[in-house]
Amino acid sequence: MSDRRIIVDYIARTEGDGAIDVVIGPNGELKKARWEVWEPPRFFEAFLVGRKYEEVPEMVQRICGICPHAHHLAAVKAVERAMGVKVSRQTELLRELLHYGDWLQSHTLHVYCLAAPDYFGYESVLAMAGNDELLPVVKQALSLKRLANDISVLIQGNEIQNRTSVVGGFTAVPSGSELKKLQERLKEAKDFALASVRLAAKVVAEDPYPELVRKCEHVSLRDEGKYPINGGRLVSTEGLDVPDWEYPEWLLEKHVPGCNCKHAVVKGRDSFLVGPLARVNNNFEQLSEDARAIAKEVGFNAPSFNPFHSIIARTLEIVHAIDTLIALIDEIGEPVYEKPKYKIKAGEGYAVTEAARGICCHGGRIDKDGVCQAWDIVAPTSRNVYNLEKDFECFVPKLLDLSDEDLTLKCEMMIRNYDPCQSCATHSIKVNLRREG
Amino acid sequence: MAKPTIAFFKFSSCAGCQLNVLNLEPVLLDIVGAVDIRYFVMAKRENFEGPYTIGFVEGAVTSPRELMELKKIREECSILVAMGSCACHGGIPSVKNYCGMTQKEMEEKVYTELWDLKSVPAHGIDYYVKVDAYLKGCPMDKDEFVMLVTNALKGLNPLFRYHSICNECKLKENSCLLTKGIPCMGPVTAAGCGAQCPSLGRGCEGCRGPASDCNAASLARTFIDIGLSRDDVVRKFRKYAGNTPEFSKGAEAV
Repeated sequence: MSDRRIIVDYIARTEGDGAIDVVIGPNGELKKARWEVWEPPRFFEAFLVGRKYEEVPEMVQRICGICPHAHHLAAVKAVERAMGVKVSRQTELLRELLHYGDWLQSHTLHVYCLAAPDYFGYESVLAMAGNDELLPVVKQALSLKRLANDISVLIQGNEIQNRTSVVGGFTAVPSGSELKKLQERLKEAKDFALASVRLAAKVVAEDPYPELVRKCEHVSLRDEGKYPINGGRLVSTEGLDVPDWEYPEWLLEKHVPGCNCKHAVVKGRDSFLVGPLARVNNNFEQLSEDARAIAKEVGFNAPSFNPFHSIIARTLEIVHAIDTLIALIDEIGEPVYEKPKYKIKAGEGYAVTEAARGICCHGGRIDKDGVCQAWDIVAPTSRNVYNLEKDFECFVPKLLDLSDEDLTLKCEMMIRNYDPCQSCATHSIKVNLRREG
Repeated sequence: MAKPTIAFFKFSSCAGCQLNVLNLEPVLLDIVGAVDIRYFVMAKRENFEGPYTIGFVEGAVTSPRELMELKKIREECSILVAMGSCACHGGIPSVKNYCGMTQKEMEEKVYTELWDLKSVPAHGIDYYVKVDAYLKGCPMDKDEFVMLVTNALKGLNPLFRYHSICNECKLKENSCLLTKGIPCMGPVTAAGCGAQCPSLGRGCEGCRGPASDCNAASLARTFIDIGLSRDDVVRKFRKYAGNTPEFSKGAEAV
């Protein structure tokens, strides 16, 4: 009797390179279930030492092309905490605008370009576009993604790596009239966002394996009086509730042989999940009114411990992001240019933001000359790797009647639930599934 | 005529350049219609072996495994394109080459329990293989990507002009940041981005690498004149394209 093994060398429709190696024994027992991320390390934490404080946010956004602003803003805030820099209300609002735009972009990319093909039976969104019935949906999705990108372009000049946001504020601000134009487009996009929630709930409900539920700790930020994105306290479904800057004390990392990723646990407890599902579970009441209403309409109840519900949570956040962006543009009005003002000071600071795919932690020490002496980075995907392996351990034994082809796809979908950024985690995906017997 | 076959590969990088291909929303489906995308793991589940007409490579080479893959990719692609700063010049990953630590010291700093990490100094792909075209910038410029693909469809080599960013600033009537005492790499950096950063009040960081015929040593001395420390100047030149001989001259001039 030999092992049954599923091998996928490169997991498609995720960011970065990684592999899954699943080995099933002759009696259906799971012998191995590993998400192997082998994206080469880039040593950010090492080479940031000796760089100037202002270069840290500039460089760390290059960790990930899909959630650059989450890394950038966490680092900006950590530097500002270290040097005691205060920023204006306008700067805080523009930073939220920038980051919600990024969520909208990342979530739309994930829902329609990376995840949807699994549910519609296509190999890619490009193939989906070849179906006349799906083409209008693909076009609407691309147009929503364009809108999200245009928000980024207006605020910082580019779709990806930010040009204007710096320690202390912005080097340039958009005009109120340009923001208003975006606001009109956001209002027009709302119906498609609501339709996205209905679509996500429908495809998930039609899944033949609804019992794939696993209770685990869900960790996210929780902000005062609003949904968390750029700050707040670190909370969880198991009662964690600490200031964000204490993340190094509570969320621990350990090395696991054979994987470039560090595996994450909550202090004194086990693996945990970060991302949209954790955020929605911990902050449901802070979602926009329309997001809560559509959740009720499609029968989504928080907390949900079904990782396949992540795509529904993502679409709820698309609705919430559009509502929040519209409100933010009203609140910002006509931005005025404010020259970033601060003094370089020695200090230590840590901060957490919510990347589209979960909490993004940065922090370190700056010396009196503004030179970085130490920098710590924990990207969201590296928080999720260990938790995903536990999903495998729990779910794969329930799916043994599937063909190798279908089981492989299901394993890939379990990974795509996390919308992983493997460059982010410094690493990547391939699936090896082997069954014995 | 058969459609040209296209492949996208990723080495050490952030995936931002590949994402910028998907950020071509208004023309994405037109491009997809004009070419045959045979390999694009980030966007497709069905990917095919070469040969390919055009291969786009994102990322720096930082491991022996990547080098082996790069050599295979070179053999498979008629036209090999370095896409983005990392593939063109080493990009941000190349900062580690100049951080004053040995590879072992860096590994110990980031990975407390060492296993078989195999990492080598970060270089752009033309350090190892012949490259036919470059898409500079961090991230690569979408318009230049479209220009390259449309030209390739016509059998033409796109003519990218790598004069300095200063030319683009003049055309935009930007006032010079250097004269205001803001360090700007524009005078030595290759144009093509439309002077994106200086137009937004931020000094150019040199992400597109050296302009043709640039005088980096002179700019390094100007940086000192406007108050930068020697270390600051070295940091400016050893960032996105610190591996290049041109920017090395800037780093070594002070």
